[in-house]
Amino acid sequence: MTKCNLDCNTCTSSHASIQEMHSRAQELGINTTFDRYEDQQPQCKFGTEGVCCQLCSHGPCRITPKSPRAICGASADTIVARNLLRLECHGLSAYCHQFEEAIDTLRATALGKTPYEIREEGKLKELAAALGIDTNKDTKALAINVADAMLHELRKETREPLKLVEAFAPKSRIAIWKDLGIIPGGPLSELRDAMTMTMSNINTNPVSLLLTTMRLSIATGYMGLIGTTIIQDILLGNPGIGKAEADLGTLDPDTVNIVAHGHVPYVAVAVLNVIAEDEELNRLAKEAGATGIKLYGSMDTGQELLQRMNTVGKGFAGQLGNWLTQELMVATGAVDLVMMDLNCSIPGLKLAADKFHTQLVSVSHVLRMDGVDTNLDYVPEKVYEQAKELVEMAIETYKKRGTVNAVQIPRYKSEIIAGVGIESLLGVLGGSLDPLLDVIKSGSIKGITAVVGCTNNRNGHDSASLTLIKELLKKDILVITSGCVSSGAQIEGLQTLDAIKYAGPKLQEVCKVLQVPPVLNFGSCIDIGRITMAVAAIANALGVDPSQLPVAASAPEYLEQKAVADGVFALSFGLLTHLGPIPPVVGGPTVTKILTEDIEGLVGGKVNVEQDMVKAAEQIEAHIMAKREKLGI
Amino acid sequence: MRKIFILEDKCSGCLNCVVACTLAHEESQFYSVASQKEPGRISVEAVYGRPIPLVCHHCEEPACVNACMSGAMQKDLETGAVSNEGNLQKCVGCWMCIMACPFGVITPKKKGSQKVAVKCDLCKDRKSPACVEACPNGAIVFMNEDDFAKHKKKMAALLV
Repeated sequence: MTKCNLDCNTCTSSHASIQEMHSRAQELGINTTFDRYEDQQPQCKFGTEGVCCQLCSHGPCRITPKSPRAICGASADTIVARNLLRLECHGLSAYCHQFEEAIDTLRATALGKTPYEIREEGKLKELAAALGIDTNKDTKALAINVADAMLHELRKETREPLKLVEAFAPKSRIAIWKDLGIIPGGPLSELRDAMTMTMSNINTNPVSLLLTTMRLSIATGYMGLIGTTIIQDILLGNPGIGKAEADLGTLDPDTVNIVAHGHVPYVAVAVLNVIAEDEELNRLAKEAGATGIKLYGSMDTGQELLQRMNTVGKGFAGQLGNWLTQELMVATGAVDLVMMDLNCSIPGLKLAADKFHTQLVSVSHVLRMDGVDTNLDYVPEKVYEQAKELVEMAIETYKKRGTVNAVQIPRYKSEIIAGVGIESLLGVLGGSLDPLLDVIKSGSIKGITAVVGCTNNRNGHDSASLTLIKELLKKDILVITSGCVSSGAQIEGLQTLDAIKYAGPKLQEVCKVLQVPPVLNFGSCIDIGRITMAVAAIANALGVDPSQLPVAASAPEYLEQKAVADGVFALSFGLLTHLGPIPPVVGGPTVTKILTEDIEGLVGGKVNVEQDMVKAAEQIEAHIMAKREKLGI
Repeated sequence: MRKIFILEDKCSGCLNCVVACTLAHEESQFYSVASQKEPGRISVEAVYGRPIPLVCHHCEEPACVNACMSGAMQKDLETGAVSNEGNLQKCVGCWMCIMACPFGVITPKKKGSQKVAVKCDLCKDRKSPACVEACPNGAIVFMNEDDFAKHKKKMAALLV
């Protein structure tokens, strides 16, 4: 399909489908994120640079040449470091929420009360061993023991080091973190202490605040990311290479269409089960005039299903898009029901839904939206019935389709090859990491960059991430993606064999031999945990620390607090961490210098905030080449 | 005369000036309430991501005064201020002043049942304009043209 050839600064979005739907939304008088972003300009630079403190009622205080200190005496550095730690706390706490839901689901599944099953016994045993549990017992009993132990890990005191850090982190990392005193204990206790520290006038030392931010990021990494990924794999299966389609053109005008939007895949999996199994509901859908019922994905809930197309994701009808596309998928008029879970369902979604027949339903007890009264909060033991109820609602809503505004589906869609994880990667490589290590050592692949995280209108919908990815590919750098960046790359066809043409000659050769896309899909934002484990495995195989590897991380369009926690974790893990837009810390000169320079001497990684993506790719390449030289490859 | 000059490089886009202007022209304790009626007579526009404050220049030959058919908009020969304050009963809301102003600094406002044009009046009842006092960066100054020219010279010299 022919796609737009204009420069990406010309348009609202990098995607032709979104461009088309944005025009439609404007014609229909639907205000979207793109429009509200313009309404918000100019935005206050005290906030964007992080030197605004609103914690006490003396405030708000802003740091200016005329007032270089807050009323309490806090410096710009104290303010930005304290605000950064508060963002980190928010990110970690949302990850803890998802983690605890995973633990609850594991326990209910072991008791035989959910439609899920223990699919990866090996992984369950590996996790049990890491927690010091005797694995020589019945699978179900073991799963319950693991659930209990994980819950204890989540809640234990800050002085008790996390077992998953000890079991899964590279030894060289543990030594560095120990020296800095940042090996975390139970994340919920860490959150309590960190929130206490960030209260007015408790911890006002910028360096201590930054170290605490890193400490929380390690808890984020090993519990929120790696812990959740492992439990989700146990319950839903390891990722497996599979094919699917992306973009709004995957919407079928003739079926009842349900979209799973958010991050947590359990209810969506149950809906897929119901669609496959429930004859009565399929009959009702046909009676209503539809040819069937389909479930689509939006954001990470979709990515979780895409990663498992051959198992629990079977029947998944397509990935519609990411954060910035949520209102515009509704603007097709072909979405009957959006089931929203955990974070990233914006109030604007309701404003768009009001112009159509679309019903919004929360499937998470933490998610409530102004104007949305239907809440079917996920309960593991009841999820199959809840899924049936959702499908029933969707069929009822389908009957009203076209009554408010007509259906208009953009014609664009792309293929996707998804499902990359350590296990499936080993499958492609013939059972060992050696072929990958060999092509890295020989220089056929210069290095690997994980381009992850959100999508952000500040640098244009997906244009920063797509530019960076394409620039890296040209330089023979293999790219792996997760989170909203994945959806953007999928829509533009970067996760297909056809995308091999974007790669430099050497990377092209490797991709052709292995028959893999040059952009590998690692899944959702929690799958940054999966990426971390892969990097650790490569470091281990080469007998070096992760900071010595020719790799880098980038979140070129980071948006919210979970992404802050991910970014700081990549930094703590010893990686060059490229971030866009510029995080709200640059108003603090010392903090900025620490994060972008000095920290490299402590943990091996540092932050890069180059906002020109062509130059950022050059700097990432230079970093990778320097690491190669030091390794002597 | 003293008037408002902008040092746009110093602007952070915090909109403190707009808030202060609104509250100076509409009696209320809260901006959220006052802003329902009073648009604020200084504005900050985003140009390629940079905040640019815009406010009346109180021109020597004001296009708005020439365009005003009812005589509401006048230039005070003593202070030099261009304003329709005090003559609002004459304003018929034809918006000719808005069309004529080359700087885009005149705005419609609802005053009771009447729609009238409003613009900077240099806060004639205050010691200095509210926007000038509110700017945390010193990006808005209240000076006569000679002093401002001297100030600019000094700033330019500092850059050499």
